Amino acid sequence: MQRWVRLLLPHTYIDRQRRAGLLFVLPALLYFCLVFLVPLAQSILGSFYFMRPDGVARFVGLRLYNRVLTDPLFWSSVRNTVTLLLISLPATVILGLAVSLGLNRLVSLSWRNTWAVMYFMPFSVSLVAAALVWQWIYDPVYGFANYLFGLVGLLPQRWLQSVELVLPAVAVINVWVRLGFDTMIFLAALQSIPAEYYEAAEIDGANSRQRFFRITLPLLNPQIVMVCILELAFNFQVFDQVYATTQGGPAGASSTVIVLLYETAFKYFRLGDASVMAVFVFVSLLVVTLLQWRFFRKPVEY
Amino acid sequence: MAERVLPPSGASSKPRRSEAPSRWLSHPPVGPTFARWTAVLLVACGALTVFFPFFWMAVTSLKTVPEIQRVPLQILPDNWLNLANYREVFEREPFGRFLVNSALIASISALSSVVVSSLAGYGFAKFDFPGKSVFFFAIIGIIMVPFQSVVVPLYLWVNRLGLVDTYLGLLAPDLVSVFGVFLMRQTIEAVPGDYIDAARIDGCSEIGIFRRVILPTVKPALATLAIIKFMWAWNHFLWPLVVVSSTRMKVVTLGLTSFTNIYFIEFNLVTAAAVISVLPILIIFLTLQKWVVQAVVMSGLKG
Repeated sequence: MQRWVRLLLPHTYIDRQRRAGLLFVLPALLYFCLVFLVPLAQSILGSFYFMRPDGVARFVGLRLYNRVLTDPLFWSSVRNTVTLLLISLPATVILGLAVSLGLNRLVSLSWRNTWAVMYFMPFSVSLVAAALVWQWIYDPVYGFANYLFGLVGLLPQRWLQSVELVLPAVAVINVWVRLGFDTMIFLAALQSIPAEYYEAAEIDGANSRQRFFRITLPLLNPQIVMVCILELAFNFQVFDQVYATTQGGPAGASSTVIVLLYETAFKYFRLGDASVMAVFVFVSLLVVTLLQWRFFRKPVEY
Repeated sequence: MAERVLPPSGASSKPRRSEAPSRWLSHPPVGPTFARWTAVLLVACGALTVFFPFFWMAVTSLKTVPEIQRVPLQILPDNWLNLANYREVFEREPFGRFLVNSALIASISALSSVVVSSLAGYGFAKFDFPGKSVFFFAIIGIIMVPFQSVVVPLYLWVNRLGLVDTYLGLLAPDLVSVFGVFLMRQTIEAVPGDYIDAARIDGCSEIGIFRRVILPTVKPALATLAIIKFMWAWNHFLWPLVVVSSTRMKVVTLGLTSFTNIYFIEFNLVTAAAVISVLPILIIFLTLQKWVVQAVVMSGLKG
């Protein structure tokens, strides 16, 4: 308490310094409180209240949780989200790793840069634009995907309009968008590995596979864990791509948790139910991230 | 060190499943010629595949409806200078207005982010005050809060304050980002304390030190932050979708979706609109990619 009083009425140089520091960070602190912490608290509180159309809120305990968590529509969108995640997360990370290793092998720096930029370009584009272009590629009649399928003698597919293929198709969009980002992170990490490690390993007679699994992969562990966490967050929050193309269709086959949250809140105005979903998204992301962090991040000290 | 990295020589001869194309995966940049050329080839093919949608978007935007519906599919447009689709995009929707809105939102968001983040970064990096680490980790912890979990209460606040369908309402959640505070703190921490002390001895005020010593030394980081924030704000979709209700307040991402409907999508117009919306950001990205890559790597290596 006394400390805070001294900050308000500084006597000494140190106190003035402390106040200055606090004043420097104050705008950011206030902003984040207003825009993230207070709304988050409100989301959590709001999940216990039923909002009547006239704006009066009534405390209903866990009844909204009961309603949302027993709703098959909610669970099918959770399942869709997880399926999407299970397809696109490993694909992005493995492809990103492969591409960064390939890029790292290129001797010519200018070519490496050119290819890297091409991989990275989708990252700068809005998800809406990306999804719409892919929707055109996926067009069942005139799309390029079916043209390719026809060239190799496969039957045309309905892609985004097919219940089975819509999630893999959206996953391809996700991989396309995120691949460059992961590649860049891996490439930077690869370049920070001292070449001596490989030379020493080679002298000791390690073959290339051993060098990869015993040197490269362990040293990339922090980046891999971090990229997995970022991809997890990205895939958990899939909204733009789906909303701009299928709007969750066909028959809810591509409806993700966030799409459902958006529709619950802003189409059907069931704000309490939407708050329950918001809490669900927040808590599950938190738990999964902490678990991932806890179990997969090994301290690297070579 | 070698003992930890390498297996004992007995273990190395143990047969191992070789599912990975290990020749190619092995690290050092100079290897056998064959392996190197395989790597080049695969990387190039992948890059061209990733690039293809951009190419496809551009050529489709130059085609007429009969052209895009031609069977068998024709890759290149008949007339490379057919800009009718672009004209129609601007005629049907006030796309110029959307572009201005997007540019305005993205610029303000970049500017405010740079100012507030560098102030906070300086405070966190070079000062000591009660609760400093608690505050810092609280801010970093916000990365864990998905925007979607706060979107409903945020909308209710914006609504209560009468900011729905205004620029301020559009900007509200976009003014500062956690990434910015983090980036600026990391950068300013590396500024030598002697510079600051010297300025202080010369009688410079704290704000003066910030303006004359800190900001000039961290210019690259400021540029990085501004560019990345501009790109993010330009590409946002969910929040504008929630908060915008009139056509004249729409941003480009929203404008894009106005060419699609359930029954029929005129992809020649959609791709033209997509090119318009993507081009500014792509030009910025390609000219300043060094900074963008730096931002990504910063967020990657230190995260």
